[in-house]
Amino acid sequence: MTSSRLPNGGSEIDRSKPLSFVFDDVEYPAFEGDTLASALLANAVNGGFRSPILGRPRGVMTSGTSEPNAFVEVSAPWFDPIVPATMAKAVDGLRSRSLPGVARLPESPPPERALGHHHAHLDVLVVGGGPAGIRAARRATEEGKRVLLVDEHHWAIRSQVGDVEVLTSAAVTGLYDDGFAVVHVREGGASRLCHVRAREIVLAPGAHERPIAFAGNDRPGVMLAGAAADYLDRFGVRPGERAVIFTTNDSSRAVAAALAAAGADIAAVLDVRDGAAVAETLGEDRVAGVRAADGRTLECDLLCVSGGWNPVIQLWRSVGGTVRYDATLACFLPDEGPPWLSVVGSAAGDGIEPSAAFWFVEGAEYSAHFVDLQRDQTVADVAGAVQRGLRNVEHVKRATYIGTAVDQGRTSGALAAGIVDHLLGTDRGAQGPSNPRPPWEPIPFRVLAGPYGGDLFDPVRTTPIHGWHIEHRAVFENVGQWKRPWYFPAEPGESLEDAVLRECAAARTGVAMMDASTLGKIEVVGADAAVFLDRMYTNAMSTLGVGRIRYGLMLGQDGMAFDDGVAMRLAEDGYLVTTTTGGAARVLDRFEEWLQTEWPDLRVYCTSVTEQWATIAVVGPLTREVLRAAGTDVDISNEAFPFMTWRDGHVAGLPARLARVSFSGELAVEVNVAGTDGLRAWKALFDAGASFGIMPYGTEAMHVLRAEKGFVIVGQDTDGTQTPDDLGMSWIVNTKKGDFIGRRSLHRRDTTRADRKHLVGLLPEEPGSLIAEGAQLVEAAEADAAPPVATIGHVTSSYRSAVLDRTFALALLTGGRSRVGETVVARSVTHDPIPATVTEPVFHDPEGTRRDG
Amino acid sequence: MTAEHGISRSQPAYPGQVDLRISANDARGRLALPSAPNTFLTDGERESLWLGPDEWLIVTAADRVRETIGHHREALRDTHHSVVDVSANRAVLDLGGDDRLAVLAQGCSIDLDPRVWRPSMCVQTLLAGIPVIIQERDAGTRVFVRPSYLSHLTAWFERVAR
Repeated sequence: MTSSRLPNGGSEIDRSKPLSFVFDDVEYPAFEGDTLASALLANAVNGGFRSPILGRPRGVMTSGTSEPNAFVEVSAPWFDPIVPATMAKAVDGLRSRSLPGVARLPESPPPERALGHHHAHLDVLVVGGGPAGIRAARRATEEGKRVLLVDEHHWAIRSQVGDVEVLTSAAVTGLYDDGFAVVHVREGGASRLCHVRAREIVLAPGAHERPIAFAGNDRPGVMLAGAAADYLDRFGVRPGERAVIFTTNDSSRAVAAALAAAGADIAAVLDVRDGAAVAETLGEDRVAGVRAADGRTLECDLLCVSGGWNPVIQLWRSVGGTVRYDATLACFLPDEGPPWLSVVGSAAGDGIEPSAAFWFVEGAEYSAHFVDLQRDQTVADVAGAVQRGLRNVEHVKRATYIGTAVDQGRTSGALAAGIVDHLLGTDRGAQGPSNPRPPWEPIPFRVLAGPYGGDLFDPVRTTPIHGWHIEHRAVFENVGQWKRPWYFPAEPGESLEDAVLRECAAARTGVAMMDASTLGKIEVVGADAAVFLDRMYTNAMSTLGVGRIRYGLMLGQDGMAFDDGVAMRLAEDGYLVTTTTGGAARVLDRFEEWLQTEWPDLRVYCTSVTEQWATIAVVGPLTREVLRAAGTDVDISNEAFPFMTWRDGHVAGLPARLARVSFSGELAVEVNVAGTDGLRAWKALFDAGASFGIMPYGTEAMHVLRAEKGFVIVGQDTDGTQTPDDLGMSWIVNTKKGDFIGRRSLHRRDTTRADRKHLVGLLPEEPGSLIAEGAQLVEAAEADAAPPVATIGHVTSSYRSAVLDRTFALALLTGGRSRVGETVVARSVTHDPIPATVTEPVFHDPEGTRRDG
Repeated sequence: MTAEHGISRSQPAYPGQVDLRISANDARGRLALPSAPNTFLTDGERESLWLGPDEWLIVTAADRVRETIGHHREALRDTHHSVVDVSANRAVLDLGGDDRLAVLAQGCSIDLDPRVWRPSMCVQTLLAGIPVIIQERDAGTRVFVRPSYLSHLTAWFERVAR
């Protein structure tokens, strides 16, 4: 195997540390510090890549992040779906394969990099570790500022920067307002996302060399001139034996000199300023020569191209920085930008050689004059778009996809803009390159996810009693972020249906208990607490006596049910209100919003106490027996402790607040204890209830029990479009007490029309038929009609009832209250049409005889 | 204590905690409360953490809650205020070790660089996606967390502090 590695030189490589890697199933040697591209070139491999659409042979064209051709998938020692070979660090044992610019995820999970997130706060973030960036970083560090310098290459710049903190292999993938930057750091097997907030950001990302479009400018062996110099200087690799230089500027003189010094022949320097040009490349899978515009044929194995230099302005522009065209340098320079952002070095135009504004070589046809190599788009494609009437570079971008590939158009953006200007005959620089957007380089989703995969994907909340539930085989349901017991199988394998019938029967005929700790709880304190709650709820809370409890409904300003719960009056100036489990945060937010923005005159403070209290509902005719067995100093007789009152005392020796509320219609007492006492209180009540056959029950049984009584669950039977009247709850709207949120909307024509959907009950004609929740209701005559069928409502809740010994459902039905007794049909994709009779939505104990035991 | 690399983490504890709401004007001259945002004062028996322009968290021994509530209600008599026992509303985790702030910085966007984040500071923020209060005490860093999130936060610590 031939080698292009020079005997000496290479500032980035350490020749004392040889290693080997695999590329397309062949093992190659390399040195520590090589990129995959430099190592391949050192092994005289240039080619081996294919273009994504046309399948043309391609080779390494650049030495950095603007590479449009040489993409690899890395499969060991870690997995990278797609990375330019020019940016991938060669490490021992690395396995890679060439990709045609498009990545595929593997079937089986790849070896995982360690993933992390990190937040950093800085005075100065410097982007780019070239001379200008290093100068800026050193200066800021000497001033005692907190400084970080990031550079997307792995190259060892630490030695040059003294005390400056440096991250290498670190790309700023996105820059956002007020100095927020997202940095993707690849450290060997680890991939980190660093969220940086900096008072000041200095951009020093340098400049990218621009190619020229001519026939066959994509053939392996065509390389940007500066890249050829990089391979010589940084890696001691001579990328060709005999070179032609094709240039618009003087920067290539040094490249020619360096190549010659390294022993390469310089066949010719073709400078467009002298009227010279390359008309086309010759050869098959590699450049074997070029035909010059003057007709000469020049043999070569390397064609170094320089069409001038583009300052790297993508990050600058992504936060609103403007650019101006510089006719001398033939490029766009940063102009006006946000005060916290500055640009230094060649990104600001410093040291860029003047260049001819030259975009493509005239030819008979342009189908091999490549503009965007990764999208296989040519001058002919740009011309086609312009001929079709697209006169803006943004439109041409969308028509051709130029600049939308993995490389983000780093070599093609300015070139395409120049060609569009040329074709339209407009001034050079009339159109800037198309708008850049993050990410600057592709970020795998798993890096964005970082450590928040699997169990940490979304925070899970558990109650103090959770461990007991697990020990007792609870099957859990997600309610917001909470894990709530859904049902408790009596033995492994008991079905949901059997368990729920059993749990409901216990609550109706014996005693059962449930963990209701997830209910939101807010303490509302202050001289105006009563006035405030009167405005928040549809009913009056000011008339509630101390020691008493009232159910309350809250509406949105649109008059629709928003949340519900109970209010306990703790004192003249204090209430404890409960919210739904999922609504706790938004109810507190709403309270604070109205207090802070609309009624700052009200003397009210709200404090979340959701987790201060563990809440255990003891439900069923034997509730009092269980409480007495557990031991309580509260007189729990119906006379001393009537329905909808609360008492402070003790249960099982623990300080407790007892509340006579019932969400099932049965006698029930809610035992509230400090969250830290929750598990002890639960165990004491469970043990005390053992001789009464107490059963724990979950949310499904709770839903059935309340539905049998026709109690709605906001969010289950409502979807934000139900007024109290729709729910049959006009009784809770107190219009005499004064204004409350949503009151005005209850008098709109739309909210008072007779044909709104009403909450009704449904009894399937066949008592064993269970309607699917979400099933659509249709007229009986359309039971079997072919769709489309007009829907007249839908089912919101549907269960089997132990106490009714049959199925039943709740539904929202158009004009439903006037249809009681009629038959409608529930249709669902999951079952045959089910005819059902419309009923009042209360199925069990409508007189309320059971709540006092 | 659970010892991970460069960080130690206590078992969850529940000191006495009282949520105090009052305007700073009304409190002046009656209570010594920190007025600078995101700071706390300690008098040996109690720490008072600034949570907002009209909200403080008073932290004391678990057996001094009644007394603390009484003390504050007495001091603030005839003012518009709220004093609520929240001792079970948050658990505390005490963190030690040189890497503790670096570990927190992996999941918290507040500036926890020791050059900026110093003893006497506290902040309400998000850690690993959940609401917390972080307090820098002389003895180390204290994290107040809703007990319902303890298992999530513990799992997060175990994942990131390797």
